[in-house]
Amino acid sequence: MARDPESATVEVDLPADFDEFWAETLRLTDEVPPDPELVSVPRMSTPAVDVFELRYTSYDQMRIAAWLTMPAGHPPGTAFPAVLHVPGYISEPSVLKSWSERGYVTVGLAPRGKLRSNGRFNPGYPGLLTHNMVDRFTYGYRGFYADVVRAVDVLATLPGVDPDRVGIWGSSQGGGLGIVAAALRPEVVRCVAAGAPYLCGIMASPGWTHSYPYEEINEYLRVHPEHERLLTETASYFDGLNFAPKVRAPIFVYLGMEDDVCPPETGFAVYRLLESEKELHTYPRCGHDSGLRWVIPLVEKFVDSHLHPEGVGA
Amino acid sequence: MTDGFEKFWSDVDEELGGFPARPVIERVPAKSTSDFTGYEVRLSGLGSYRLFGYFSVPTGDGPFPGLLELPRHGSVNHAPHYNDRLRYVVFTAMHRGQRLADSPFSAAYPGLFTSGIESPETWVYRSVVADCLRAAEFLAGRAECDPARIGVTGDDLALVTAARRPVFSAARVTSALLHDAFRGRLHTGEYPWEELNDLIREFPSAESGVERTLRVFDPAGFAADVRADVLLALPPTGSRWRDDLLAGLGNRAHAYRMTGEDAADAAELDGWLAGRLGVRPLRKFSQ
Repeated sequence: MARDPESATVEVDLPADFDEFWAETLRLTDEVPPDPELVSVPRMSTPAVDVFELRYTSYDQMRIAAWLTMPAGHPPGTAFPAVLHVPGYISEPSVLKSWSERGYVTVGLAPRGKLRSNGRFNPGYPGLLTHNMVDRFTYGYRGFYADVVRAVDVLATLPGVDPDRVGIWGSSQGGGLGIVAAALRPEVVRCVAAGAPYLCGIMASPGWTHSYPYEEINEYLRVHPEHERLLTETASYFDGLNFAPKVRAPIFVYLGMEDDVCPPETGFAVYRLLESEKELHTYPRCGHDSGLRWVIPLVEKFVDSHLHPEGVGA
Repeated sequence: MTDGFEKFWSDVDEELGGFPARPVIERVPAKSTSDFTGYEVRLSGLGSYRLFGYFSVPTGDGPFPGLLELPRHGSVNHAPHYNDRLRYVVFTAMHRGQRLADSPFSAAYPGLFTSGIESPETWVYRSVVADCLRAAEFLAGRAECDPARIGVTGDDLALVTAARRPVFSAARVTSALLHDAFRGRLHTGEYPWEELNDLIREFPSAESGVERTLRVFDPAGFAADVRADVLLALPPTGSRWRDDLLAGLGNRAHAYRMTGEDAADAAELDGWLAGRLGVRPLRKFSQ
């Protein structure tokens, strides 16, 4: 029988102490001063865009790197809208000069484990998805999620950023983490564009696909089948389905209907659970790119309509 | 191409031929099933550098068709896909600087693409290409691999590899990385080509050296030596493939115009290679 992604059921248990776990994780993060540092990178800057390397301290005292781009040539005191971009699982952090040419400050984040943020934490790649997954307190993604939330906080306080106009955009891991960060920072995030959200339906997904990264779970359980209960327990604390109802910002979701990496069943499932203003775009015959060729102008229009960059008719 | 071009690449071959790869092959239970067995491989490349690759062999009586997956531009490569492990003896190579082959050299992104680009001899891609050639030698030398049915897939490093190691019957080229990069940089702000713009903006005097280096590595210069059937993926509009490259490939070149519907495109690309190598096509999105 052919798959019917829109009708499929994806269920994730909500742990009784889910909120407590994340409150404690963020409390531990808040104990660490972020100490943001911006260093100009003249070689990567253009006449229209200034590029900086941003570093800040996050959960467990780890120093996190990012690329920051900003419109050039504006007087001190100018406040721009800002977009945080979280990279995909194997992608490099972006340098979004084209967005700054349209009037945004952008941050292309390298959460822990990515290059330049892997001095103390280096799960290997592939390997992050199952790194210490038997224990939610040691799971590699715990600090990774905290890094993204802290990036939102840091970005909102940087000079040149309007704290009332902060959004998140990303696909795959960036889509999933956009949902997480919007849920954990509802007072800061004003809009989210999430493509092919990964980390939604974490334990259901490997049943639909043999593509990485979810194939890492199949491989892990091939060797440690007795750990399935532990992995399922940990995943429930990190699953986007349990964060979705907490999102308050308007959200734009886009899915490829033949996505072999993040099964569309999981995209529909997380979309159903979103309670904020939302819109869904689906693309038949498309895989993990999720209609990239057509959707990018729509993403820009959506973000512009909420963050109102100067010079863009939104 | 000039005599200097041939001498440059003959020197690379000679260096590689001067020492053995000494592969160490270790079975990986997590990447093994009743249908295939997965291994991790470490082997020697230029400059006494240990490289890394994933190797997988189908279960049953071989030899099997072979598939060399060349590294993407980026720090991480996935292990070979389950569908490919079912059908091919597959070797997925990391070049130096990428994860799992990043000791002692860890590549920067951005940064790798212009590292040493002031001359062909110093550009990091001399070693990167050599790493790809080493990977081809490893796969083609395996007894499990049918020498008459070996394919190579990746960006246009696949053309360079197929030209210098004519062991392939099919080359699937999914994108242009090195081809026409000097001119292509003018039409994009995307990395890695933006690295060229960044460098030339800061050091305008470097421009001629960059152009000279890129010319030595342009797949157009290798096209006439490619013996494999070649599938060139074209973007939905326009083309990155210049006429001189197409002329060099002649009637061995086949084009596929990507639609942007990437699941459908992936099925077409999979089917082309499967047909050339005599295995069944498989879609990654299972119905």
